[in-house]
Amino acid sequence: MPECDNPLWPCAMTGAAACLAGFDGIAVVIHGSSGCYYYPTTLLHAPLHGTFILEDDVIFGSEDRLQEVIGSLSGTGKRIAVITTCVPALLGEDIRSMLDEHDVILVDSPGFAGDVETGYAKALAVLGPQVDPETSGVNIDGACLFDPFAAGNVQEARRLLDMVSVPVATVFSSDRYDCVHHAAPFTISTNGDFPSGIGDNLGGMLGLTGVRETFARIGDTIDGTDCDPVFSELEQQEERLVRACDKFLQRYDPPFAAIFAGSSYALFAAETLHHYLDAEICCIGTRNAPGNSRFRAEQVSSLSRARDLIATHEPDLVIGSSFERSLNGEKAFTGIIPPLRGRVRIYPAPLAGINGTLSFMESVLNSCMDKKP
Amino acid sequence: MTSNPLPANSSRLGGCTLTGAISVTSHLRDTVTVVHGPKGCSHHNVSLLHASWLDNDHAVLPSLLSTGLSEKEVIFGGEDALRKAIGSAAGQEGVRAVVVLSTCVVGTIGDDVGAVCSEEYRVPVISIPSAGFLGGTFQDGMNKALIALAGTAGPCQKDRGVNIIGEMNLEFEVEENYREIERLLSLLHLPVNLRFVHNLSWDQIARLGRAELNILRSPALVPVGEYLKNRFGTPYIPSFPHGLSATLSFIREVAAHCGIDGQVALREECLRQEEMLGQFSDLRQVPVSLDRVHSGEDELLAAEELAAALDLVMGTPGTCARLPVSAAVGTAGTRRMLHRWRRAAHA
Repeated sequence: MPECDNPLWPCAMTGAAACLAGFDGIAVVIHGSSGCYYYPTTLLHAPLHGTFILEDDVIFGSEDRLQEVIGSLSGTGKRIAVITTCVPALLGEDIRSMLDEHDVILVDSPGFAGDVETGYAKALAVLGPQVDPETSGVNIDGACLFDPFAAGNVQEARRLLDMVSVPVATVFSSDRYDCVHHAAPFTISTNGDFPSGIGDNLGGMLGLTGVRETFARIGDTIDGTDCDPVFSELEQQEERLVRACDKFLQRYDPPFAAIFAGSSYALFAAETLHHYLDAEICCIGTRNAPGNSRFRAEQVSSLSRARDLIATHEPDLVIGSSFERSLNGEKAFTGIIPPLRGRVRIYPAPLAGINGTLSFMESVLNSCMDKKP
Repeated sequence: MTSNPLPANSSRLGGCTLTGAISVTSHLRDTVTVVHGPKGCSHHNVSLLHASWLDNDHAVLPSLLSTGLSEKEVIFGGEDALRKAIGSAAGQEGVRAVVVLSTCVVGTIGDDVGAVCSEEYRVPVISIPSAGFLGGTFQDGMNKALIALAGTAGPCQKDRGVNIIGEMNLEFEVEENYREIERLLSLLHLPVNLRFVHNLSWDQIARLGRAELNILRSPALVPVGEYLKNRFGTPYIPSFPHGLSATLSFIREVAAHCGIDGQVALREECLRQEEMLGQFSDLRQVPVSLDRVHSGEDELLAAEELAAALDLVMGTPGTCARLPVSAAVGTAGTRRMLHRWRRAAHA
């Protein structure tokens, strides 16, 4: 792997923690140093435990320390999950056999093994999610604690499913632990970068077109479901959105936008901006591997590449994280991926669903108008 | 969090050496910090620095270069990756020096970081062993970085002025704390020579030995204070002042070190503190308790002194307002804490 200046994306260990910590009923232990513990703790805002290993644990083995921490958590009624970080992975200790006497979920997800999506997928695979044919409704996936829009996305998906009287089954990964093994046979996605792979995927919830298509499939698949309330709201809200965008275009040129995000959110932003504002998408830099789309995209994992792209294209609108906002000077900015620092965020805003699109476009229009001469 | 309080475990909670060192080296403007380890370690710190700098309206992004160790380097060694990264950093326009920090992965696989750093490069390369938990605590990382950088400065002529040593650059109120110390020094007509290390250029480090006094941010920096005393003959005060009387003692101590008559400054500050207490007289006789769980010893002593000065009534925890206790620096920091006390008392 080549050198990388100011890496923009977290490691696999953080992804594994983001997955496991989303399930109520799991006590997550990060088996590693305090540095490996503090970052996911501050990022995920979830209770995590750590072994905080020291030099002696490296020299003499980490078993005693791991047993001590596991012992302190037993009796809490929670299933314990241990995530191994880089150093324990390097030591080559047989952690599985160390923990033979405990019913522990073990996820080997050292930081050097990959990025956040890799760790998330690995942890979810270890949890062994299963479809229970008796479970009704649909699962919601893509809710990763790492994503600042995850809570808002789940709320919005629940709201829309409630409108059509379809119960929510398991939310991956923000649910009770026991629900992992009783997922419904169908799933809708709120963020395609964090798929569960469980059940038949009925579609995504990003973008109004995506919501429309997904609910059409829900109506076709789940007997007796009347999706008209959602279609009706879609129509009303899209009309409002079109009116707001038309009004903007009466006075201003369409934005010339650079987009930086995970592939799923990046393509949502590109499609939405292009469709409603006739925006030109000058570049897309995805944090992970870029997906297929009509827009040209490249993977951007370092700050210098993001800086180069912004300097080369000179966009008047940047979509991304507060890293890109810092590169962006005085241009319009809308944040859709972490980190989103330097702003107070309290309300769980969505990106998915009808309100997600409205919220995103509201932010874009306001930031563009604020920056216009 | 599993924070077993046994003495054997206390050092486990001391944070990451790498982060401590980065909190110092990232404040050198025309240098690049090379982090020898997996990308994730650098990202964690970039994100942390980014957050704290934005909190302080410092929109500049950090300059960290990760050697991006993957499974391949972990197995076959990462020295080539390090050599390449140092060369790349040293070749960047305007870079005056490269600082190399090691991570615990590197400490475990046993790369000879010192040897790679001692090879020939276009600019000076300073190696600071900071292998995460293998290197000690967050504070150890800070201390090692400060000492390593101080070691690059030579002796120089003493001049009027004071150095501020080891500011907590990740602290939310780092600028406010600095301004308060600067204000207290201005009462004695003493300028700040250097903020070591806070938003500093490489060349400015050469001025480190000029100050007549070093003021350390906290007593944990005493090893740094001792090093500077031995190297430059500069005495030090071990901490920023917390609370009312400590602020007055601080003025007295600085004045004594610098051979200044501090009586006028002391009277002025006393008056300021009395006026401040008068503005919070509505808190008099309010039953309260202090949040002792999240407070250090110095902060608690300062808070107890403040509570007594305001004539607050100490009640039983759980039955009255619980007042937050923070490391309030100087009189201005105490004033900010009093506003939080008022909010808590009247909640």
